[in-house]
Amino acid sequence: MITVKDLKRYYGSGDMTVKALNGVSFEINKGEFVAIMGASGCGKTTLLRILALLDDATDGEYTIRGLKVSSLPEAERSYYRLTQVGYVFQDYALINEMTAAENVYILSMMEGKSKKESYKVALEALDKVGLKDKHDRIPDELSGGEKQRVAIARAIAKKPDIMFADEPCANLDTRNSEQVLEVFKDLNDNYGQTIVMVTHEPWHVKYVDRVITFQDGVLVSDEWVEEQ
Amino acid sequence: MIDDIRVGALIAGSSIKRGNKKTLVFIVFVLSLIFMNLVFLPSMIGGMTVLFTGFMRDYPYGDIVIEPTGDNTYINNADNVLKKVRAVEGVRAATKRLDVGASIEHKQNVVGATITGVIPTEEYDISQYPYIIKEGDFLGDLSRDEIIIGSIISGTSTTFGEIYDDLGETRTGSLVDVTYSNGVKRTYKVKGIMEGNFELVDLNAMVHYKEIEDVYGLDSGKATSVVVRIDEQGTEDEMKDKIREAGVNEKIFTWADKSETLIRQAMQSLGAIDTMSKFVGLIVGAALILIIIYINILNRKKEIGILKAVGITPRSIVLSYAFLSMFYVSIGIFAGLILYLSLMLYFQANPVVFYETMEIRPQIDVMLLIESIATMLTLSVIAGTLPAWSVSKESILKAIWGR
Ligand SMILES: Nc1ncnc2c1ncn2[C@@H]1O[C@H](COP(=O)(O)OP(=O)(O)OP(=O)(O)O)[C@@H](O)[C@H]1O
Ligand SMILES: [Mg+2]
Repeated sequence: MITVKDLKRYYGSGDMTVKALNGVSFEINKGEFVAIMGASGCGKTTLLRILALLDDATDGEYTIRGLKVSSLPEAERSYYRLTQVGYVFQDYALINEMTAAENVYILSMMEGKSKKESYKVALEALDKVGLKDKHDRIPDELSGGEKQRVAIARAIAKKPDIMFADEPCANLDTRNSEQVLEVFKDLNDNYGQTIVMVTHEPWHVKYVDRVITFQDGVLVSDEWVEEQ
Repeated sequence: MIDDIRVGALIAGSSIKRGNKKTLVFIVFVLSLIFMNLVFLPSMIGGMTVLFTGFMRDYPYGDIVIEPTGDNTYINNADNVLKKVRAVEGVRAATKRLDVGASIEHKQNVVGATITGVIPTEEYDISQYPYIIKEGDFLGDLSRDEIIIGSIISGTSTTFGEIYDDLGETRTGSLVDVTYSNGVKRTYKVKGIMEGNFELVDLNAMVHYKEIEDVYGLDSGKATSVVVRIDEQGTEDEMKDKIREAGVNEKIFTWADKSETLIRQAMQSLGAIDTMSKFVGLIVGAALILIIIYINILNRKKEIGILKAVGITPRSIVLSYAFLSMFYVSIGIFAGLILYLSLMLYFQANPVVFYETMEIRPQIDVMLLIESIATMLTLSVIAGTLPAWSVSKESILKAIWGR
């Protein structure tokens, strides 16, 4: 599904250059739930932003379903972000003045669906994350875990090829984290959703299929998790 | 594009619905004041203009005035002109007048004045002169040794008394000596004193038309002006054309043509103030809208980044801000209109009074209102769109994470 070949991302220039990613290659196939781990500052966020088309690589190749997205013009990347890629932010990144449903269905509307249809899609997505009954609450009226689940609903409503999540549980307590991870697992198990998640927590590993570990901008291990 | 508009409207709508209501009220309040500022002073000036133009019609010019061509002092065949004019459909009445310069003397007091020779019976249908005699009576057909003098000349004007020289308490029945510009002297008995609370009237005097003809030895049918009243106000320009088509070759003016220079001069300083205040009002308004939207946008920079990150087009975002500021301004204009109309109602009932008797009622100028509304809406779109445009161009990473 996605292929990364010798991906590099340097920040700054000259002596100040930070090699956040220094030649990374891997493949992720449809239906996989992958965790990306590694010490702080090893380049996880940098990688994820590039994969989600929020940032450009300095060098290297990135393809989604064989399409070289790394060299697309901005308008098409924007369309790709809208239709093919879901992104879950560490701090939820919801629009505070919009209800849960509005936060989700604005994307369907952007895609050109009618308001009614968009609403239906949003409710479906909210149902998948267990928040259908709270669809008309604004973010301030939701717990951290619930907010993150709304953000997940937003990411999956468009049925993206692949969903990225950068430390989605970093701001959540264990109970809320479990809820969010359960939602991921459910999406992965029952809907075949491909998920790439950055995490620090070793206990998250039990939810995923595969763990890729980074160190100082390079991939140091890539292992399948044994079913327990 | 339609999707951009729908999404822009959704963003703007939710931001209005769930945004800070106190800020909204404040913004609307200030915008309504800006709108008021744009339309109020012009309305007052409009009121003054109406007052002055009313004077122009009622006294010196009627609805339409015909004057000699070229350097001629007189219209030579005024009776012929009158005949043609009266035959034009839509003309209600017409008369001829003879204006001359003279000095008037009473008990060693001398004042200069314009003396107008009028045909008294005809003036009842033409002007207000016959109706503003505050003492004595208006001239009659046989008034040959009688004169009407303005209240300023007579020294009985309560409004302008202090400013001008006068004859010192001249009363009805007093005798005054008039020396005409050609040197001829006549003595008249004051038949009446007129007061229009308008300098052009109250500084003048009036005798019978025949008297002027006689003094200046004119052939019959000479006039310095032919004053015309028409059936329907507002059709002056058409009527002017009709009169010309009827074969009148003299100069033809509407009261508006005539008063324009006069009014323009009188209004020039006011107009300058008005333009200034309008300009400043617009600048302040635009700056305010700009600042409001800009602060709003800075506060929501992250949201803009997020919206872009999840695939919302920059165009929708910019549109949402255009909608937002248009909404603010529309409500502001609406509130301003209510405020304005209540003030108008108040001033209609309690006009501003000048010189004790001149009541100024502000005029509602619909064109001006439309113009002001359009200007403010246009400005709001620009002021709302510009900052949104610049922020929406920023990179997503910078907008969300600040680097
Ligand atoms: N905009 C930037 N300019 C300069 N250096 C940057 C920038 N963004 C990240 N870096 C550097 O690149 C390296 C990788 O950063 P990145 O955020 O990808 O790490 P991470 O693995 O996500 O860390 P964490 O686990 O703390 O989130 C770090 O050394 C970081 O300081
Ligand atoms: Mg990170």
